[in-house]
Amino acid sequence: MSDQDRTEPRTAPDGTDQDGTGQDGTGPSVLDRRGFLKAAGFTLTGAVANGCTPAPIDQAIPFLIQPEEIVPGRSLWYASTCGGCTAGCGALVKCRDGRPTKIEGNREHPLSTGGLCAVGQAALLGLYDSQRLTTPLLAGQAADWATVDETLRQRLDAIAARGGRVRLLTETLNGPTERVWIERFLGHFSDARHVVYDPLSCSAISQACRRTHGVALTPRYRFDRAEVIVSFDADFLGTWLSPVEHAAGFRAGRSLEGDPPRLSFHAQLESRLSLTGSNADRRLVVRPEAIPGLLGELTRALARHAGVSLGNGPTPAQAGASAIEPAALDDLATRLWQARGRSLVVCGSQDVDTQVLVNLANHLLANDGATFDLARPSRQRRGDDQQLAELVRELEAGIVDALLVRGVNPVYDLPNGSALATALESEKVPLVVSFASHHDETAAVAGVVCPDCHALESWRDAEPVAGLLSLTQPAMRPLGQTRSWVESLAAWVGAPATARQLMRDTWEQTVYPRRLAGAAETFQNFWDQAVHDGFVEVEVEAEVEVAVDGAPLSFDIAVASRALAAAGQAPAEPPTDAFTLVLYPKVAILDGRHAENPWLQELPDPITKVVWDNYASLSPRAARALGVEQGDVVRVDVGNSDQPVFDGAPIELPVVVQPGQHDRVVAVALGYGRGGTRRFSELGPRWLQGRRTVAPGETVGRNVAPLAIVAADGQRHNHRSGVRVEPTGARYELASTQTYHALAVPDALAPVSGEPRPIVQETTLPAYAKDRGAGAPHGHLPGGDLWPEHPYDGYHWGMAIDLNACTGCSACIVACQVENNVPVVGKDEVRRRRDMHWLRLDRYYHGDLEGDSDAEHEGEHGGGVDVFHQPMTCHHCDNAPCETVCPVLATVHSAEGLNQQIYNRCVGTRYCANNCPYKVRRFNWFDYPHRDPLENLTLNPDVVVRSRGVMEKCSFCVQRIQEAKQQARRQGRAVADGEIQTACQQSCPTQAITFGDLGDPASRLARQVDDPRHYRLFEELNIRPSLGYLRRVRHRQDDEEIDHG
Amino acid sequence: MADLALAGSASTATTAPISTAPTSTASSAANRSLRPPLIAGGKTPSEVTADICQPLERRATPLWWAAFLPSLALLLVGVAAVTYQIRTGIGTWGLNKTVGWAFDITNFVFWVGIGHAGTLISAVLFLLRQRWRTSVNRAAEAMTLFAVMCAGLFPIIHMGRPWLAFWMLPYPNARGSLWVNFRSPLLWDVFAVSVYFTISLVFWYLGLVPDLATLRDRLQKGFKQRLYAFASLGWNGSLKTWQRYEMVYLLLAGLATPLVLSVHSIVSFDFATSVLPGWHTTILPPYFVAGAIFSGMSMVLTLMIIARVTMRLKAYLTDNHIDAMAKIVLVTSMMVGFAYATEFFTALYSGNEYERFAFLNRALGPFAWSYWIMVSCNVLTPQLFWWRRMRRSLPVVFVASILINIGMWFERFVIIVISLSRDFLPSSWAGYTPTWIEIATLVGSFGLFFTCFLLFCRFLPMIAMAEVKGVLSS
Repeated sequence: MSDQDRTEPRTAPDGTDQDGTGQDGTGPSVLDRRGFLKAAGFTLTGAVANGCTPAPIDQAIPFLIQPEEIVPGRSLWYASTCGGCTAGCGALVKCRDGRPTKIEGNREHPLSTGGLCAVGQAALLGLYDSQRLTTPLLAGQAADWATVDETLRQRLDAIAARGGRVRLLTETLNGPTERVWIERFLGHFSDARHVVYDPLSCSAISQACRRTHGVALTPRYRFDRAEVIVSFDADFLGTWLSPVEHAAGFRAGRSLEGDPPRLSFHAQLESRLSLTGSNADRRLVVRPEAIPGLLGELTRALARHAGVSLGNGPTPAQAGASAIEPAALDDLATRLWQARGRSLVVCGSQDVDTQVLVNLANHLLANDGATFDLARPSRQRRGDDQQLAELVRELEAGIVDALLVRGVNPVYDLPNGSALATALESEKVPLVVSFASHHDETAAVAGVVCPDCHALESWRDAEPVAGLLSLTQPAMRPLGQTRSWVESLAAWVGAPATARQLMRDTWEQTVYPRRLAGAAETFQNFWDQAVHDGFVEVEVEAEVEVAVDGAPLSFDIAVASRALAAAGQAPAEPPTDAFTLVLYPKVAILDGRHAENPWLQELPDPITKVVWDNYASLSPRAARALGVEQGDVVRVDVGNSDQPVFDGAPIELPVVVQPGQHDRVVAVALGYGRGGTRRFSELGPRWLQGRRTVAPGETVGRNVAPLAIVAADGQRHNHRSGVRVEPTGARYELASTQTYHALAVPDALAPVSGEPRPIVQETTLPAYAKDRGAGAPHGHLPGGDLWPEHPYDGYHWGMAIDLNACTGCSACIVACQVENNVPVVGKDEVRRRRDMHWLRLDRYYHGDLEGDSDAEHEGEHGGGVDVFHQPMTCHHCDNAPCETVCPVLATVHSAEGLNQQIYNRCVGTRYCANNCPYKVRRFNWFDYPHRDPLENLTLNPDVVVRSRGVMEKCSFCVQRIQEAKQQARRQGRAVADGEIQTACQQSCPTQAITFGDLGDPASRLARQVDDPRHYRLFEELNIRPSLGYLRRVRHRQDDEEIDHG
Repeated sequence: MADLALAGSASTATTAPISTAPTSTASSAANRSLRPPLIAGGKTPSEVTADICQPLERRATPLWWAAFLPSLALLLVGVAAVTYQIRTGIGTWGLNKTVGWAFDITNFVFWVGIGHAGTLISAVLFLLRQRWRTSVNRAAEAMTLFAVMCAGLFPIIHMGRPWLAFWMLPYPNARGSLWVNFRSPLLWDVFAVSVYFTISLVFWYLGLVPDLATLRDRLQKGFKQRLYAFASLGWNGSLKTWQRYEMVYLLLAGLATPLVLSVHSIVSFDFATSVLPGWHTTILPPYFVAGAIFSGMSMVLTLMIIARVTMRLKAYLTDNHIDAMAKIVLVTSMMVGFAYATEFFTALYSGNEYERFAFLNRALGPFAWSYWIMVSCNVLTPQLFWWRRMRRSLPVVFVASILINIGMWFERFVIIVISLSRDFLPSSWAGYTPTWIEIATLVGSFGLFFTCFLLFCRFLPMIAMAEVKGVLSS
């Protein structure tokens, strides 16, 4: 057993899936585990029956002959691809005794480089969702696959025979197997089309590229190569395109290595406070309508630098004079220009002209091919809003004969979803087939539902970036009678085969020929290696759109100039009492596809810290003007808006007062109001004064997709002008894990007002360049100690968290929750401030929280707020205050510096929690139910499920420490540095967390502790925490006040 | 000492004919003539016996029932609340991840504080030769016991797993080296409170023995007589018996006196030894002791005034008694007020921003109302007692004593809840609202207290007959 055995991903053995039963064996033996158990059970029964004593076999029996790889209690890891969204991050699936118990990032994967976001981690719970469909449905009734196949084959053949129209509507699918089989399936019909859309669409980007570069591609934005990043409303660290990849790249540019230290400059221009904006070095607050004008100004300034003439247009002063200070924009242009070829402009707008300007700016900056990579484009969002609009027209006209829907939920997430539902229900479309795994809004109006397998149950492939194939392999047999949708397609066109076979064949025919020089010699080896690694890099496929002669992509400057002229036309100034409604995705909920996942519903929003709801965010000044405060319900009325409205009914939402937001913007999250969330009415403890998470029959939050705009060109826009917001007088109590937001105490209660507490320390780049220890507060540190220190003969575990790397993305919270069996407690318990997360992310604001400062320029409205993210978990203090106060020694210090919580000794006095300065201890106020036996399969068998009345907290993943120590001991060596990764550390896309042995001077941790940026929180209490932070460095001038805007 | 020899003369021959109360020194005898009599009405010893025994020997009055039934109802409310809470979980309280203690420990400290007056009156005043104590010491001691019982309830039910409360005791067990944590102030509490309860119980019971013998002798037969006979431990009133009794009583008084200081000092260590701003202060032990005496005396005043009015004991609980206790209340109020000021000064002078904030937040933060209730009840109200007329006005003293008890409850609430709710990390700051279960539990503890006290009044002499006889004016 080498150390690699433990962490190396396993290859699913070949040749176990020949019988077509979906037995995609993950075990290598001839006899699978279940079969073996059956046989063993039979043998035992026989033996017992021989003794005339009938005995039921109801207990697990150990293997008589141990299959080679299955060791009870030992995990196997399979390389796979995350199915949480379309970004295609590499994942490792941890399987224990035949069931997946955790999804982690794949360190080797070139795209995600080891991290995995909260949604990806939480996808595990979706596998064990008892409300997933387990059988196909025919007209709402459970049916078997043979019947469904027969019915569909007949109907599809009939449609093919009469030349009917078939439309396949899917999310972004970029895997070669799916592409091949979609083509084959659609080729069966004379008029068939594949329409792709993404509920969180980025289609304007590829449309813009079609205009400027002649190819409809989405560039791969290389944040790792960018030294100056200017983002116009693109939440690239949170929800935009490929957040894990971007975060890792962003982090790479801010490593502070070298002399002068390497730290990219990031400016964010946005209307609401996004996760990305919270990390910006400079943040300018503008309303969404101003963005084209600002981009135009920026582009002109860049053109002046480049000496390129872009024709006549309005001067900057005319274009967007009111938006931000011209000097600020000039400064951005200068910075970009100075870093040309190493800079990047990105934009989250869905307006094609605006995206053309982005391309122009990047072209002027010579970023093409460097940070703006079209040679290996992203295929993570390939939706085409214009084709979707065309499809909707067809559907409403009733000229489509068959609609197949896979991976999207148009009835829910399209602005005109309800009209679509009516069209589908009224049998304008004779055949609607849904591949949904749940009985979602679209499946409800589909005649046939053919549930697809969960990503952890199926063979799939993906090509998230051209030339990088990422492979999904099953980690267990399907739990129900679900079937991979590609198998269904193949079955209906008369070529039934297993998904694995389909995929293998495709790879042999289309992928293997693209292998890089020096790749495996036989297809079998190539395939084995790909399955083992979970990905393979191949030659970039020539895109059909690219000119055949292979000439380099040319840039059409004329197109860009026209777009620039269009941007110059300043938008009509909206009435001052009207708001702009901004619809945005939240980090955990995204478009609502995982809304039924309680882990994600209870994951605090990285900015507002609110759980279990969507809400109307208003700036403090706007809230004051409306006379509302947090929790007041307002009516958001789009009825008078001058843009077309799909559902004009005003929508009522509770207010969240959000510093850092534009005063004339009201922001509401998408992805809420999913029908499936009605299930949560039973969630959480029930008691006398307990309230339900949602009232029976109600959903979590409200669906605001109908408030979006579909423009004339089909592009879906997520902001709308001219919206009225009125108070209703009603109150609604939101659930939030943090209710005081400032780093400074209230002015009235502070002897020195406005002084931030030195909790999150930071400095500026120039100060840091001069003095690596800059930013440390002055203060007394305790001197000697009366008592002897803890002797550490062996390991002394510790952790360091780099605040300069942490973006606040919250992946670690879900990672910890999954690893440590942390329960979901429900909305009411969070309202009562009893969330159970062992690891939390504290978010503080500093600056102009109340929106008091007078702003001359729009860019300063709601600006002037700095945001700090601080992961907070048990600090495992050497002189732990919790340890001394426990009367029964239920929390004690280990010989390796861990502060251990002994659950079965705890009597629950809560004294330890009171005495913890970090407030990281969590108490089991109730018996948090584990009623759903299927859901319980997510529980990590290495970690105890805590009962009511005991305290719990972060253990530094002691089960992982023990596992590594046992491994090392078997091999007669010490645990190597980096061998143990805590769950939070593993998941972190920016590798902000380091765990290791403080006693080993060569360890990465020890180097970080020696870093002058390292500080320990509340060191003055002499509690000697084993966890430290590395000070944050912002790329701004010493004298640059945060309210510069 | 001839007059005192008469003091013990009882209606029956077997009861002690003499009382050699150690208070009867020459000097105090000399002083006595200068002071108003401690017992009014020129009672004879036999009248004393008759007066004090009559409530026990009659049927219960409607007034007693009118007090007892509501008390019992409150107790049952408390029992229901605690049963529900233990069945369902501590989650039925309004606590949260930041405020881990609120009503539970507030009530605990409150009741322990109430429990201070008994020992103070019986032991400390006994040693200090304060002869007026004889009228109130029995009831005060009983009050102590019941208050400590109420107090002891809360640390048990506040546990997440109260059925494992015995793990707090260092008893030999089969868990190997697993033992209690002697470094934990909560464990010190276990010892301090249980020792205090034991000594108080023994002290109270010992004082009862001569009176139980009196009761025994007043009855001729029956179950009650046998019960009193058993409980009076064969008291025969002989000189030897009295001599031994006095010696043991004196020794126990000496033993109990340090406990007056130790119990609340140790309770204050729960807070003082922690790291929490607002808790971590060296002033807490004396401050808590003063507060405990303050609140205990107020509670004694409340109960005595009720007893005096309802049980017609005006002759025994004279205005002089009320006056003397009001003076103690005034003194301890000043000590407590001084402690509040010192605490503030120390915090502001410390230069420690967390410490400063903790105190400013008390006075001006979201729970400021509770702080100002505390200050107005505990510091301002007792200032009335500078005036003799106020000290001797039953309505004024009664209302003030109740206000002081409210104030002292809030003092503990302020210390515990306000300090916890906003500590080091602003991200964890949280509020606190009690649930109905918590309120019912507090109410139930009052039910327990009054039920026990009313039963005590009904079945045991609430004034120490033997001792009162020692202070009758000749």
